[in-house]
Formats: sequence, C-alpha cells, structure tokens
Amino acid sequence: MGIVGNTVRSARFRLSRWVLTAILCIYLVYTLIPIFYVVTASTKTNADLFGTFGLWFSDDFHLRENLVDLFTMQDGIFLRWLGNTFFYALTSAIGAAFFALLAGYAFAKYDFAGKRLLFALVLGAVMIPQTALVIPLYLLFSKVGLLNTPLAVILPSLVFPPGVFLMRVYVEEAVSDEIIDAGRVDGAGELHILSGLTFRLLMPGFATVFILAFVAAWNNYFLPLVVMSTSDQFPVTVGLAIWYASATTGSGGNLLFTVVMAGSLVSILPVILAFLIMQRFWQGGLSAGSVKA
Amino acid sequence: MAVITLSGVTKSFGSVSIIKGVDLTIDDGEFVIFVGPSGSGKSTLLRLIAGLEETSGGHILIDGTDVTDRGPAERALSMVFQSYALYPTKTVRQNMSFGLEVARLPRAEIDRRVDAAAAILKLEPYMARKPRALSGGQRQRVAIGRAIVREPVAFLFDEPLSNLDAALRVDMRVEIAKLHRRLAATMVYVTHDQVEAMTLADKIVVLDGGVIQQVGSPMELYERPANLFVAQFIGSPKMNVLPASADGRAIIVPGGKVRLAAPPPAMIAHLGARPENIVITPPGQGDIDGRVDVVERLGSDTFAYVTVPDAGVLTVRIVGNDVGIAIDQPVGLAFDTQRLHLFDTRGQAVPVAAA
Repeated sequence: MGIVGNTVRSARFRLSRWVLTAILCIYLVYTLIPIFYVVTASTKTNADLFGTFGLWFSDDFHLRENLVDLFTMQDGIFLRWLGNTFFYALTSAIGAAFFALLAGYAFAKYDFAGKRLLFALVLGAVMIPQTALVIPLYLLFSKVGLLNTPLAVILPSLVFPPGVFLMRVYVEEAVSDEIIDAGRVDGAGELHILSGLTFRLLMPGFATVFILAFVAAWNNYFLPLVVMSTSDQFPVTVGLAIWYASATTGSGGNLLFTVVMAGSLVSILPVILAFLIMQRFWQGGLSAGSVKA
Repeated sequence: MAVITLSGVTKSFGSVSIIKGVDLTIDDGEFVIFVGPSGSGKSTLLRLIAGLEETSGGHILIDGTDVTDRGPAERALSMVFQSYALYPTKTVRQNMSFGLEVARLPRAEIDRRVDAAAAILKLEPYMARKPRALSGGQRQRVAIGRAIVREPVAFLFDEPLSNLDAALRVDMRVEIAKLHRRLAATMVYVTHDQVEAMTLADKIVVLDGGVIQQVGSPMELYERPANLFVAQFIGSPKMNVLPASADGRAIIVPGGKVRLAAPPPAMIAHLGARPENIVITPPGQGDIDGRVDVVERLGSDTFAYVTVPDAGVLTVRIVGNDVGIAIDQPVGLAFDTQRLHLFDTRGQAVPVAAA
C-alpha cells in the first residue's frame, strides 16, 4: 500500500500539490509586487506618482522624460554611479569567485593540518552580517589610507564565505579524485590540473558563486555609504539613496521622486541581464563519460 | 622497462595501518597481479607504487633508484584507473596527448605516438569524440591508450575491468594479455577477481589485511597454497575445508576417516580438498557420508553441494552433466589422497607427505 498511496494520481498527492502551488503563487506575487511597483512608478509624472493608484500605470506615460531627467541630472552623474557599481560588482565577483574556487577546491580535495578548524571558521563567517564588519573596516581603511578609493569597496567583497562553502560542495560532487590522480600521473602540476582539466567541470559552480557575489556587491549599500565620501565614487545604491533623502527633505530644488524610481528601474536591469547571460553555464552532465558512476 | 622493488613498505592513515610491511620484487616484463578481498590493501599498495600516496615507512625502488620521495610523474609510470578517469572535456586524441604535452614533447612525436597507440587499440574512428560519446569498452581502451603513449617503465592497472559487463570483461582481459605480450612491459594489476588473476598473471601476490599471504605463479598458488586464506581465495568454486586431526595413518574428519599411505603430520587441524578432488561414491563406500543438497548443471561440469553432518556443505565437481545424482540422495564422498591440503592450527600449510 505504501507506494500505491503516494502515486501522482492519489488524492493526497493532488491536494499537497495544490497547496504547494498556492503557497508558491502567493510568494511569487509577494516578490513581484515591489518590482511591478517600480515599473509603474517610473512611468509616471511626479504628480501622478502620488495621485494615482500605485500598482497600475497612469494615463500620462512619462517614462522617456523620467529617463532623460535621470541621465541628465547633475551633469549625468547617474551614469558615473552605474559605471562605478558595475566596476565594483564585476571585480568583486570575479575575485570572490576565484578565491572561493581555490579555497573550496582545497577544502574538497586536499588534506592538510587544521582543515576542519578552518572550514568551521568559514561556516562561522557565513553567519556574521557584513554590516557588523563595516565600522572595523572603516577604521582599518582609514589607517592605511584607502578610504574613498574603489579598493575600500572591492577588497572586503572578495571575501565571500558562502561561495567557499558552495564551491567545496560542488567540487566534491563534480570532480572525481581519479581525474586528479590521472592528471598527476600524466605529470601535470596541481594548478595545471585545476586550470586545464577540472575547471571546466566546475563552471556551473563557479558561475553560481560569481552571480551570487555579483548581486551581493551590486546591492551593497552600507559599506560604500560609510567608506566613500565623494559622490563621484558612489555606487548606484548610495547615489539613489542620497537623491531620495534630498527629495524627501525637499532641499534638492528640482529633485523628483520619479527620477529615483527611474534610477531604481535602470539599476536592476543589469542584474537581470547578468542572470540571463550566466544561465547558459548552469548545464549539468559536463563530466558525463569521464568516470563511471 | 623496469624492476620494481618494495622493501618494508608500510602505510597508515592516521592510526589505521593499511599496509603492514611489504617486501616484494617485480621483475622486468613481469605481469604481477595483486589480489585480495576488499580492504586487503591491494589498491593502496598500487597507489604507493604510483606515488599517489606517500609511504609511511620503507622504500620503493624502480630499476635500483629510490623513488620513495618522488612524485607520480617523476616515476615514469602509467596508470589505468577503475573509473577510466578520462578528461571529460577533452577529445580522445587530447586525452591521449595531454601527458605528452605536459612533458613538452614535439608535436610530431606526440602525434606519432598517439596514432600508434590508436592503431594498437583500434581507436582511430573515435579520435575526435569526447568520452561521453564512447561505450564502456571504448573508454577503457582510451584509458589504456593514454597509458601506452607515455612509454612508461611500467603499467599500473587499478581494477580496470570491474566496471565492464561480463562479456566485455572477458574480451578486454584477452586484449590486455595480448598487449602485455606485444609491449613486453612490466605490468602491475590490481583485482579482486581471482579469475582475472589466474588467467593474466605471471605472478600473483595474494594480500589480506595489509600483509602478503603468498607470492607465486597461478599454478603454484593453486596447487601449493601457503595457508588457508590463499587456499580458499584462489580457485572457483573454492576449496572445501574440514576440521581434521591426525590418527596414525589416517586423518579423522567429521563423519569418517581418510586413510593415507604415510602417517600425516601430528599438528594438522584442517583438511582441504578442491571440488574436483572429491569423488561421489555409493553411501558407505567413500571416506565420509552426506546428502546431496543442490545440484548445479553448467553443461561441461556439474557441481553437487553435499551436506555432511558437523562439516557443513562440501562442493564436489563432476565432469559432464549426466551424473545420475538427485537432490536429497544419500552419497559417499571419497577424497583423492594425492591432492589433499593440510593446515595446522594457525592455518599454515603442512606438507602432506611429511614422512
């Protein structure tokens, strides 16, 4: 009876499937509403933004004008912020994925003294909120004179403990010890084995860590807020927040909420694009045929 | 080609001792097989020779040079792995040339060697394929090809056939035997399959518990096993063993006596008889009596499993299939006294004709 009672045609299965689907639909709506709000709000005039229903478009489609305002405001500094964010996020993500790959690979494939302790430290570091480290980092950077330079944002972002954890698990699954041994017998050094034989097997894991680190760095707000002091070094997050703050206090003269909304819309597009581009790396079965499962 | 010498080699993982002191010489051009049950240390011993594991003690010499502290590549050996371990993102040709590229051989030389190996292994039609587009047997041949092109001083095989299906395994076994003849290379081969060991080896090394139990040619091990473990591990179906004790010119076993021409040594504790060295007789006319339990007819041979009180089930091999015995039939069993194996209380072999 056990198996019969749980087939896809059984009433129990159908019920639990419906419940699960319903819960996921609610979650989907919950996730999409803010994004949808950003889309509708960025097409409105400032007056319509406060005068019309928030979750639908108003009659006056004002997106083009908002975008023009966005990119011309303060001599087009938004583009500069976008460039900064892109630079910070890309270098951070590449670096973080690279170090996570090396560390995860070592944890997965090598035995060394202190391995368990070090990995426990990595896991512990996952628990520490980045925000808690900002003030110590500020003090450190002020000592070495890195405040208000790109390195002040990039260096801390290279440390990405969840990526190390992910890469370790991924390497353990995707690379068999025998391939590494075969490379050693063939005379390749350890770095050569990693770059020439096993890295391509690890691309899906590497891409995952890259995109996670990219999004984390793209959305990073508090660290650049604290360590950056001139507006030409700001990333989009900090720049928009400052515009928003001056719009709220009404001190910006012509600063409008619509510009902030349009800026938000523009700033999430590259992340979506990054996901679409990275998607092609998430293909399984790369190691098929190498070793018999 | 090479002589490989192990002297006092030990290996421990933490506090667990896997190899407990191995002395062994593998001669030039010899086909040596390490055989033993799971956990006997046979694969570890091979990996020590390959340099993939560091020895905990002792020395490994290749052609008289101590290579104990050298890495796998410096030992100039090739290895074929159980899982093939092909490089999945490389084509067959790239798989075979990788080691030569690492060694920075000229391109022309690489191509010459790879083409030659491909010809030997009949891999030419598949050179541009990736491993995932090959069958199990083809993958195995690529793995062997990758080993050949390096022109190693010796080949190491780690259970190379255990992932293949039964029919293919027999084919590949024959191919490996031919390859050994053709290359006249030193080969060290690990298997848990005693049939592979018997058919391929010049010399078999039987391992158990990290200790060499016996070294010898297949027929030496079959005919003169040094102890009970080897006696029961080599040969299929395995040797029958009964508790035994000496009594004048006879050996007492459960349910009867086996009379010998000369008095057996006094310290015997076990009697071993291979299935083909027992003859079925009418009840009461053999050395002991029993009852037929199961009859297996293989066509060329028949195996009868005979239950003997206090001795368990004995296997008897009868040539042919028309043997005229039935299940539950009482029978007598007569031992071929010329081909008995005797062991003392510690399981060590005792010569039969001691007197």
